[in-house]
Amino acid sequence: MPTPVLSIRQAVIGFEKDKPLLVDVNLDIHPGEIIGIIGRSGIGKSTLLRTIAGLLSPLSGDIDVPSARGEIGYIPQRLGLINHHNVGYNVMMGALARAPFWQTLFSLPGIELRESARSAIEAVGLSDKVLDSISQLSGGQQQRVAIARSMVQQPTLLLADECLGELDSETAKEIIELIQKLAKENNIAIIIVDHNPVRVATFCDRVLQVKGTHIEEVNV
Amino acid sequence: MKIIQHLKKRPSLIVYTGIIILAIMISNKLGITIDNLGQAWGNAGILWSEMFPPDFSVVTERASWSQTKCTWDADWACSAAIHGLAETIEIAFLATLFGMLLSLPLSMMAAHNLSPIWLSTITRQFLAGLRVLPSLVWALIFVIMFGPGPLAGVLAMTLYTVGYLGKLQYEALEGVSRHPLEAARAMGLPRWQVARYFALPEASNAILSQILFMFEYNIRHGSVIGLVGAGGIGWYLNNYLGVFSRYDRALALIIVIYVAVVIIDQISLSIRHRFMDSETHAPRARWREIIPFFTKREV
Repeated sequence: MPTPVLSIRQAVIGFEKDKPLLVDVNLDIHPGEIIGIIGRSGIGKSTLLRTIAGLLSPLSGDIDVPSARGEIGYIPQRLGLINHHNVGYNVMMGALARAPFWQTLFSLPGIELRESARSAIEAVGLSDKVLDSISQLSGGQQQRVAIARSMVQQPTLLLADECLGELDSETAKEIIELIQKLAKENNIAIIIVDHNPVRVATFCDRVLQVKGTHIEEVNV
Repeated sequence: MKIIQHLKKRPSLIVYTGIIILAIMISNKLGITIDNLGQAWGNAGILWSEMFPPDFSVVTERASWSQTKCTWDADWACSAAIHGLAETIEIAFLATLFGMLLSLPLSMMAAHNLSPIWLSTITRQFLAGLRVLPSLVWALIFVIMFGPGPLAGVLAMTLYTVGYLGKLQYEALEGVSRHPLEAARAMGLPRWQVARYFALPEASNAILSQILFMFEYNIRHGSVIGLVGAGGIGWYLNNYLGVFSRYDRALALIIVIYVAVVIIDQISLSIRHRFMDSETHAPRARWREIIPFFTKREV
């Protein structure tokens, strides 16, 4: 078994020490693995993801994540796209973490980064939408942009929070295929939070359910 | 007794009566009396008779006594109104440009969602300090330091613009959705990249609108700072009201300023509407297109 990309030991997750959302969280994730996290709304799934992303600190315990810049990709619940900007700009933002300092200073991405952005846009089927503003796109197209941004970033760990939430079944299926491709071809470990256990079971290698303040692996 | 009962039923009357009594007491303390007002009416009558009809030669005659050299051949182009107005617009343009260049990085430093709390607090205090003095007082200070002229005006209005625009901009940046910023932070990007590439584009429509508003505001205030010698049309106005005592010409200048401000207001308003019309269909501001490499034919 290769070294895990993410290793969580005895972590307590939440905002207040006397009211933790999740306790005794233990988790190992390996490259290329897709993990689904399910559970009812407000139980702490997103907080767990934000803690793994380094946006919040665990109340206690250890979270061992890739520490190099750009190694963690995060697709928030509302995708985190820049709505007033176009598809090209948003996808290029994934390259920021990989770009040399002088390129980021003058907004001049190198040929290699531009090429990877172009091929990511092609891979998600949005080549004809490069100059379209995000606000002009449908929900499914916006999801594709968020995935293309992660493709360009090339993280070792991708965290996706409810990114299939409001999509119709056909579009959700297309996005799932993209996620699977991303995990297998680039050997990326992916954690995806979803509220639909049946859907998650169809494409995830393992499914974890949050019950009360504990998280446990389930067979759906 | 009836009055007290009536007041008990309508307690708001006590508040209104209290405010009116307070206003009368303050007026007496400040010497604002009916006698004084009567006297002012007399003076207003004299001023009125000297102002009318307005003398619009200020638009056609060359003003040979202008602060800055006018090189145009046409007399109207070097008149007090046109030359002064052009100078006011030039001062406003430079002040807005310099103010924007300085306020943008400061506003990013002042925004709570982009900077550590210690940095945002210090920057906010600095911006608040710049706003303590109005541009007129800054102009007075710079006229003492650099002498009368447009330089003092540009510096005064730049400082005020930094303070005022900086506040508007950090509020706009703080209004940006947290989701793109969190995606950027999770990537491990440094703060300046999060601000520059994620927060700024998301807030750019509001910021662009604020810059236009500031330009319009600076033109209006550019007319005032000239009163203390800091250049622009206000300087001509000050001379017509003071040294020359030509109230008819002063009134003509006031009318010119009024018309110019109304026109500029309308232009600014229509441009700003283009950016603020709707959340979803606001046209993209072209200066934000920082990636010139993406064109339809390239893909």
